[in-house]
Amino acid sequence: MTHRTRGTAGVTDVANHDRTSMQPATPMTSVTPVSTTRPLRRRAAWLGVAGGAIALSGCATNAPQDTWAPRGENAQMIHDLQWPIFAIAGVVGLIVFVAVGYSVVKFRDRGQPIPEQTHGRPALEIGLTILPAVILAVIAVPTVSTIFALADTDDTDCVINVTGQQWWWEYDYPVLDDGTICGYEPADGLTAAPIITSGQLVMPAGTNVLVRGTSRDVIHSYWIPQLNGKKDMVPGRVHYLRLQSDTPGIYAGQCTEFCGLSHANMRMEAVVLEPADFQRWIDNELAPYEAPEEGTLAAQGETVYVQQCARCHQVNGLVDPLTGDLVVSNPQDHVWSGAAPNLTKLMARNTFAGATWDLLTPECRADVWEAAPEDFGERYLEGVSEACLNTVDLREWLRNSPAKKPMYADAERLEVTDGKVRGMPYLALSEDQIDALLAYLLERK
Amino acid sequence: MFTTGSKLLIGSALLATIATIAYGIAQGGTLGTIGLASAATALWFLAGVNIYVRDCNVAIDEAGALTVSAAARQAPPSSPWPIVGALGAAALLLSVVTYPAVGIAGLVLLLAATAEWMVQAWSERGSADAAYNDEIRARLAHPLEMPILGVIGAGVIIYSFSRVMLSLTKVGTTVTFSVLAALVLFVAFMFAARPKVSSGTIGGVVGLAVVALVAGGAVAAFSGERDMHVIETTADLAERGRCGTEASEADKKSSQTLAGKTNLAATLTLDDAGILSAEVPGFNESTSRLTLPRSNPNNVVFRNDSDTDRRLVIDVGPSGDMESRTLCTALVEPGGVQFLTVIFDMPTFAVPDGHRFTVPGVESAVVEVTVP
Repeated sequence: MTHRTRGTAGVTDVANHDRTSMQPATPMTSVTPVSTTRPLRRRAAWLGVAGGAIALSGCATNAPQDTWAPRGENAQMIHDLQWPIFAIAGVVGLIVFVAVGYSVVKFRDRGQPIPEQTHGRPALEIGLTILPAVILAVIAVPTVSTIFALADTDDTDCVINVTGQQWWWEYDYPVLDDGTICGYEPADGLTAAPIITSGQLVMPAGTNVLVRGTSRDVIHSYWIPQLNGKKDMVPGRVHYLRLQSDTPGIYAGQCTEFCGLSHANMRMEAVVLEPADFQRWIDNELAPYEAPEEGTLAAQGETVYVQQCARCHQVNGLVDPLTGDLVVSNPQDHVWSGAAPNLTKLMARNTFAGATWDLLTPECRADVWEAAPEDFGERYLEGVSEACLNTVDLREWLRNSPAKKPMYADAERLEVTDGKVRGMPYLALSEDQIDALLAYLLERK
Repeated sequence: MFTTGSKLLIGSALLATIATIAYGIAQGGTLGTIGLASAATALWFLAGVNIYVRDCNVAIDEAGALTVSAAARQAPPSSPWPIVGALGAAALLLSVVTYPAVGIAGLVLLLAATAEWMVQAWSERGSADAAYNDEIRARLAHPLEMPILGVIGAGVIIYSFSRVMLSLTKVGTTVTFSVLAALVLFVAFMFAARPKVSSGTIGGVVGLAVVALVAGGAVAAFSGERDMHVIETTADLAERGRCGTEASEADKKSSQTLAGKTNLAATLTLDDAGILSAEVPGFNESTSRLTLPRSNPNNVVFRNDSDTDRRLVIDVGPSGDMESRTLCTALVEPGGVQFLTVIFDMPTFAVPDGHRFTVPGVESAVVEVTVP
């Protein structure tokens, strides 16, 4: 007699095996009884743990990039679309899973003969073709209208240029014909000039902002989940993305197109301010450069900055203390993308190095991030004070930036870029120089 | 005992020896004595060899030699590879005084000849059956030879084709390839009408076509390319300083690229009142000031709605080693458009005169540009 048993080790042919007593009629040579319940239980336990972990992750409260928590009209449009589609897709998925599961269990192989084979069920086939087509058609109507609504630029109130490069975002605010920036007129005594900043995109609440995006090196993707969907930024092309929010606060984002070594460290934040606060922000950004007082540590830091940093980083209005010449950076000669973050008002923003690290200590950061909308503007516009400066990360960055953030910063190994670095190189600064630089940068707000 | 040839060589060697001694004693000339001694030595050597091989004659009583000796075997076919190898070596040497390309060709020929010769020599020792030897040579060599020969053949055909196309005029190209297409159609029709046509005929026709094409390509290569109609690019105009009001021909298709149509930083329009204004995607109204990023290409389109030929000009400021660089479009006819890509290396505050788009000859046409 020959039959088959199934176990976790596969199928084993058993010769002359007594099926009822599991006692071999002849000396057993090849079969070891295998328990099937224990591995199944173990698998079920692992699946349960994994499923539970996934389910629990949905309960996270500190999830600033939660795509299910819209904070603006555009994100709300996407949200209003994805919920019904998710529901429809969920119902369809459930039906399919149940049908497949039922069929697998009900018609599993028990050694029964193969049933009679039939060819075709026209009614069923036509039905299963028409039904998905109808579902897709129903889904298409709101989808297409949402796509068109998200591509509309006619209601733009404010245009902000966004340029991606490895691995940070640059923002510049054009001056309009009437001398305003996004419709905001600079305070008396200030000259209207384009504002240039990085890391944090500051925008007025209740305003339809149009991002005009591009890239200087490779393809990046701009995504602030709580304000809108993703938009690729392709070198040589101009892309448009609507942003709007009525609620003051900081909204986190992340580059979502793999763009090289530090793609994971290319972050961005949209900062929404009440109109009055946005006006204050503009006035502060346009305020003229104030040199450090002579004889201070910050004054020493200015010299270090001019010698070490100004080749790539621009501080508007900075004059070389030794020569008296206006300092103009030349990142195009040193950096592959041709740009480095403008540090004129570094301490007016909360982050550095591609918005990867905070300029604020954790306590001060919480004060800003968790501030009520009505208090947010005031907290944000305080900038970074000496007490709140996150010296730990900033010092590490200045000591050896490629060690803190992976970058192609060794010019001797960059033949393909003519020796131009991708990111900030190691500058071999002494601790005294770092102290002086921190003092100088702390005044840049 | 001695064969006829041996006798002749022994006599000659003896005569040379006597002559050497006589000359050496009578004349005493060193050079002549050495020459005669050399001749005598060579003749004695040849005589010895000839005696050893017995004039290479097989005696009538040695009938077995006619079938088993080495000389009785079928001689291998003549091989072209020694000559090809010599040609390669000669080309390699010639390259020293001519061109490196000759050396490369020589090296390729030398390597190919060496490889082929080795394979052929190996196959000729495979067996006593020449047909079998040819077969094993083919099995080894054809997988390498066929692709290489195919690539070379395709390259020659493509190169010939390109030479023909580059040398013909616009009308000539139309006529030539119309006739060629008609010929292809005719030949195809003939083959279709007579499906049992022999492979020899097909090969002959195709071979004739290839020969004609290669011959045409060679003639075209020697006659040179036709005169090309060159239109100055933006870079040409900037380099030659032709960004004023002087005439320059515009490439009317240069603004039709997808990038030119879809990725614009701005469209600058000169109206018939001499006003230059910019339309920026995203802004609802035209403007007379632009903010453009630094160190990144900015694509702009110039539309000339005036009634005179005009061009768009911008001084982008210092760039690299140059103190200043002016970029411009070609001269645009009324109603025409031209495309211009501008990259600013320096921010506006670092350029003494700032950045601005202008139109030569129209003082009022200015769009201020700020590069932050």
